Amino acid sequence: MTPPKADPWMNRIQVLPADPRPIWSQIEEGLRRLLASGSLAPGDTVPSVRELATELRVNPATVSKAYQRLVGAGLMEVRRGDGTYVSAAPPAVRKSEQTRVIRQAAMNFASVAITHGAELDTAREALDLAWDELSNSEGGNR
Amino acid sequence: MGDEAVVRVENVSVRYNKQLVVDQVSLEVARGSVYALLGRNGAGKSSLMRCLLGLQKPTSGRVLVFGEDVWTHRARLLARAAYVPETSDAPGTLRVRDVVAFHQSMYPTWDQASVKARLGRVGVSEAAMVSALSKGQRALFTLALALGSKPELLVLDDPTLGLDVVARNDFFSDFIGELADRGTTVILTTHDLAGVEGIADRVGILQGSRLALDEDVEQMKIDRGQSLEQIFTELTRGAGGLS
Repeated sequence: MTPPKADPWMNRIQVLPADPRPIWSQIEEGLRRLLASGSLAPGDTVPSVRELATELRVNPATVSKAYQRLVGAGLMEVRRGDGTYVSAAPPAVRKSEQTRVIRQAAMNFASVAITHGAELDTAREALDLAWDELSNSEGGNR
Repeated sequence: MGDEAVVRVENVSVRYNKQLVVDQVSLEVARGSVYALLGRNGAGKSSLMRCLLGLQKPTSGRVLVFGEDVWTHRARLLARAAYVPETSDAPGTLRVRDVVAFHQSMYPTWDQASVKARLGRVGVSEAAMVSALSKGQRALFTLALALGSKPELLVLDDPTLGLDVVARNDFFSDFIGELADRGTTVILTTHDLAGVEGIADRVGILQGSRLALDEDVEQMKIDRGQSLEQIFTELTRGAGGLS
């Protein structure tokens, strides 16, 4: 259930200052990735804002922003006085909302691929690889 | 009252004889935020920091701290602030506990229990001579002293200068703990771009005595698609290399 203690969060969530994305969005994405791969399962606890901020060496407000967005998306929940947990049930997302979010993410991906001069085939291949990686690393910690 | 800016620098210029070292700088530090002031050596950081601490009167312009002019109300305003200098000025011939006791006697708001807890957590022995502390421990000790008065505003002048990676990480961890606990308003100067990027809410870059940039860190990344380090390098490289 809970990940082995030996695997520190800073190995599981990458925060790269050189990455042009805002740090809260890097943290949000890192957590989404752990959720998608099953490495964080429903009912698992996530570290407190303070713990994660200290370990990743970022402003607690930044971690808090990432958490708020994940709680808002229904992926995590806060139990008063008891910490933050991975939600038991995946949130029911309306089909139209799902389509909208995926199209938007695809637009981001496509624009990155195009600006780097990639062909559609190369981009599709990269998507397949990423998909496989997330679905195969069920509970996998390196 | 109800003013959200804890520090407000208004059109501050500093001139030594004929040399203009700070040129019409204005900036604001919002309550509970972390403002990082960057700039290469000689860009005017130290002069601006001295004005901010009421140690120097600007040639023109003024600095408001908690809404009042810091030059005319220095003592009252700075009782609510704390300063972490680049190198600790605690006398090496005293023991840690004696320096702590001295600070305790000066601040009515002093929180002795939290200072003791903090020193214990970071492994600074109260019986140690100040001169026997390592550079990293000394930085943590200085931070603990600064936080002992429970300041509303914390001013740090390149606090991790000369520290190795481990000591720097320890310092930032301790500092982040403070932000998590009390949301203290912070203004700091630093050379450590990578270290500050995750911590600062807003960043100002002094270049050639002027404030060449003053932006929200996250917004800046989104707008420019660049890391802080890239932006800093571009802004401060060579003469007039601004585009």
